[in-house]
This record gives sequence, structure tokens and C-alpha cells, in this order.
Amino acid sequence: MSTETYKMLHANPYRPWPARITSIRDLTEKEKLFELRLIDEEVREAFHFDAGQFVEVSIFGVGEAPISISSAPSKQGFIELCVRNAGDVTGALHAKQCGDIVGLRGPFGRGFPFAEMKGHDVLLVAGGLGIAPLKSLINHIHDERHDFGDVTILLGARNPDEILFRKQFDMWKHRDDFDLIMTVDTPDDTWDGEVGLVTRLFDRINVDPTSTYGAICGPPVMYKYVIDEMRKKDMDADRIYVSFERRMKCGIGKCGHCGVGHQYACVDGPVFNYWEAMNLQEAI
Amino acid sequence: MFFRVMDKSRLPDLVKGLSEEFEVVGPVAKGDTFVFSTIHDPAELRLDYDTTILPPKKYFVPPAEELMRFSTADNEVLSAHVYSHPRVIFGLHPCDINALMLMDNVFLGEYEDPYYKARRESTLIVGVNCTPKDECFCDAWGTDEAHWGFDIFLSDLGDHYFVSVRSVKGADLLDRYVETRHITPEDTAEFQRVTRQFKESFTGHPVDTAQLPLLLDAKFNDPIWDELGDRCLSCGACSMVCPTCYCFDVHDKLSPSGETGSRIRTWDSCQFSEFAEVAHGHNFRDTGSSRVKYRYYHKQWGYLSKFERVLCVGCGRCERACKADISPRIVVDALQAGGGTL
Repeated sequence: MSTETYKMLHANPYRPWPARITSIRDLTEKEKLFELRLIDEEVREAFHFDAGQFVEVSIFGVGEAPISISSAPSKQGFIELCVRNAGDVTGALHAKQCGDIVGLRGPFGRGFPFAEMKGHDVLLVAGGLGIAPLKSLINHIHDERHDFGDVTILLGARNPDEILFRKQFDMWKHRDDFDLIMTVDTPDDTWDGEVGLVTRLFDRINVDPTSTYGAICGPPVMYKYVIDEMRKKDMDADRIYVSFERRMKCGIGKCGHCGVGHQYACVDGPVFNYWEAMNLQEAI
Repeated sequence: MFFRVMDKSRLPDLVKGLSEEFEVVGPVAKGDTFVFSTIHDPAELRLDYDTTILPPKKYFVPPAEELMRFSTADNEVLSAHVYSHPRVIFGLHPCDINALMLMDNVFLGEYEDPYYKARRESTLIVGVNCTPKDECFCDAWGTDEAHWGFDIFLSDLGDHYFVSVRSVKGADLLDRYVETRHITPEDTAEFQRVTRQFKESFTGHPVDTAQLPLLLDAKFNDPIWDELGDRCLSCGACSMVCPTCYCFDVHDKLSPSGETGSRIRTWDSCQFSEFAEVAHGHNFRDTGSSRVKYRYYHKQWGYLSKFERVLCVGCGRCERACKADISPRIVVDALQAGGGTL
């Protein structure tokens, strides 16, 4: 292999690396959880990520899509992606079988400030598919639970069938090291939990504003209302973290599609604190 | 930097000499306009050109290029090549030289782009000074002068050129192919006189850049953006002709068998309606107004917040290309005037 060829294949940020699908789990009607393992050992060992970062999933012939990593950085050697069947690439991914190969680039972007959050209380709020990136943070906190104070998780979904990772969270409801409250807009016969928007749960929780970090992810419309609730609890703007979904096409700050205010979600985010987000035009 | 003086009659020697080692590209006449094109005969080279329709970015980021070839069966990359060869771009104006350096910040910074880099490294730049036209406002950004970003720069002093030599390669080629002499204090004085004359010859409407980044935030909800949005055709012509617009799209093209294909990168524009749309249909900039505003916001503030320069060199190409009478000068004027009316 010539030096030039080697460079184009190994030092090329556009080049996806083959990863094998090692497990597929149906989560809801629209979402599946994929476990992926990079095939090249060297690439796999070099792959380190933070909760909140994303990868570009590549299916040649269809295209690429940015997907946030749902598994915790404390688990190395594989990643989990919670994927909604919502477009061409995610549709093609949903059609894949266990053992099939897809392409991966990344990890990209700035994740949650895990090290900074350590030693503090954490309040995590997710709506719908917003749990996908927050799951990584939740599991990372779980794996290093003794380093954190109170951990509160508020989860909202449209109906019980759409609650992602419901089995895990149903079990967590009984743990005393996590305060977990789930709510749905439309309950069914099986539902004995809360009903209504996730913002309504703020009446039920105690927040120590001097020690709490917040993390929010959900549909675009949700941010403003959840941030308002956190601000009402006197949390500092620069301790409230949000993760934005944008069209992160290249992932490396070049193609321009994920511009948010004066920054790019792919390299400057997708996680921003609220002070930064307030200074990003049209972000919230 | 060191300097030489070259007799104008020697220009064909230099072009011919360079042609032995490089593809020589330069401004040539096309109808009543000019384009950058391959030079086969030094006589084709029109160093008296005003501007070109497309900027030289096409030689570094082609309108469409293959990033890699793949096979679909095992989702494998088959090959990734950059097609570049030794090339000289002869006759770039300072605005276009500065524009390339602004592109460098994006493509050669974090996550270096190997395609751009290979082309940049295999391309020599020979600059030439110019005469400002009505559409030019490079003086507003300080991009009317190029201090680096070229190998050789020719400043027209009548019957000879004042030659600035920036790179070793430029010095070697100049030595090899053309007769020059050392500069005298008189040559430098003449160069200064011509420069002063150039500075005073901007005839177009000046651009008032005072506190522009701040104004873009303070007037983010100003009605001028709605007026501009109503006017804008979302055609993207401004981005295509812009020497600093770098946004791109990527798509996969399958071979007829469907077994292999190419991943292709093409020029894109934030002015296209679906540019900021995400998978399940939400469009973060679904109005013409938000898109026009984003283009200016990014150029005059977003890029500046990272690289301390605005992403505009005042070449005036977008003003010429726009069918809806939108240009940086009109936008900046409206922002400075208090807004509300155009």
C-alpha cells in the first residue's frame, strides 16, 4: 500500500469503519437498540467516547445518519445505538440482521461534562427519543454511582408503549439510589404511573440548586419548558446541559448543515450548557 | 519575502515555462465575462480581467467529487483517492487569495480534509493586482491586499511587474523560467505610488462594518430579514459563486448492478429550503427569511467567532449573481440604517 493510499484510507475523517451488528433488540414499534462492534481491532481500541457524543452510521448505497451513543463509556469494545426508523438510513438500518456490517465514523462532538458533574446531584430529564443520548450518561453515572450525590431521572413519553428501555426503568423504580419518575401523555389500562407533561413532575422533586447539574434531551419544543422549571428551582444556567438534534451530516464541522446560531452542533455541541444555548440564536 | 522586477514582455516565458511542469489555469475571456480555465497559449491569459463567474474554489473543492468507492454487500470501502496533479493558478486577485486562506481554516484545521489538502499542496498560486470595480468592497475587510497565501505575486507597474516571492518553489520557478532583476529604491517607490492609487480608486458604495457582529445579534428579529426573505428566491446562486462558501452535501451513487457505488460530495447552500431539515421532517430553517439571515449571520459572526475573520472577501460575485437584488452591501446598509426598510 503506498503512503498516499494508506493516508486516504486511515487518516481520512470521511472514511467509515466496518462494524458488525452483534445484537438487535426491539424497543418499541419504531425504535430498535443495536449493539455494534468495530471489526478492526486497532480502530476499536482507539474508539473512546463521552456520554452525549454521536457517531455517523453509514450504509453504503443509502447514506449516513448521525446517531447518539446510548451505551456508557464505562463499557468498552462495543456501542449501543437506539435508533428510530425515521428516514432512509435509519430505515435501512432497521432492515439489517444481526451479523450484518454497517459503517461507523466517530465519535464526534462534545458530550456531557461527566468529570465536572462528579461530586454533585444530577437531575436528568428526557422526553421521547431524547432518552437515547441521556441513557449513556445515566448508565455512566450508574457505573460510578458512588461519585455522585442524589440522582433524579424524569422520563416523559406519549404513551406507555413508547417508553424506551421501559423494562430497565421499571426495575429502577424500586431502587433507592435513583429517584426515577415516569409520566405519559396518554395512559392505557396497564399504566399506574404519572400522567401529563414531564414538567409537571417538578412539583414532586427537591433540588439543591447549589449542587445540582441538569441534563435535558427531548423534542425541540420541550427544552424551553423544562429549562423554565429548572430555573424556577434556582439552578444556574451554566449547570443546565441540553443536547440538540441537528442535521449533522459530516460530523466534523465542514458541511455546514448543523449550524445553530454562530456554532456547529457537530463540533461545538451537540451538548451545550444553557448559558451557551441562550447565546445561540434560534437554538431553543 | 524578497522581490524582483520582471519585464512585462517576459510574461509568456513564465507561462510557457510553468506549462512544462504544471497545468496552468488562469482567467480567460468567455463572451463578455471571464472564467478560470486551462491556459494552452500564454496569449489566452487575460490578466486585465475584472472578476470571474466562479471563484477558484472549484480547483480545491470541485462542484462534485468522489470521496470513495464502496461495495454494498459487506458495506466495505474499496478505495479512496484524491485526483490531483501539479497545477498553477495564474492571476488570482488578492480577494481570491484571501478566500482560499479562509477555506484553509475549515479544511486544514481540526479533522484535516485529505482531498482539499492534496489539491492545495499540489497547487501553486500566482497572484496579480487588480483595479476595483463598482461591486468590489474588499477594502472593507482588509482583503484588498494579500500578504501570504501565494507563491508569486505580480504587481503591475506599467511596462514591468513588481514581483513578490513568497515560497521557495516560487523562487525556483521564477529563476528557472524568466529573466528578472533586483529591485531598486525607485521600483519600491513606484510600487508604493501604484498601491496608493489603488487604495484611492474604490468607487463603489462603501460598507460600514462598525459593530457588525453585535448588530447581527441585536437586530436578529428586525423586519428587514422578513423583507429580504420575501425577496430571496432560495436559488443558492450566491453560495455557488462565493469564494468562501464551503458547505457541501454527500450522497451515494450506485452502479447499475447495485453491488458497488461511489460516495459523492457536491456543493450545497444554506439557502436551499431543506438544508437544515432533520430525519423526521423538522426543518430548523423553514423560511426564506431565516435562511438569508443565517447566511449573513454565519459569514459575519459565526465564522468570525471561531477564526477572527469574516467569511467574506468583498469580491462582489454574489451581488452580480443575485436575481433578487440581495447583496452584502444592501444587507449591511439595512442593518446600519436602523432597520425596518430596505
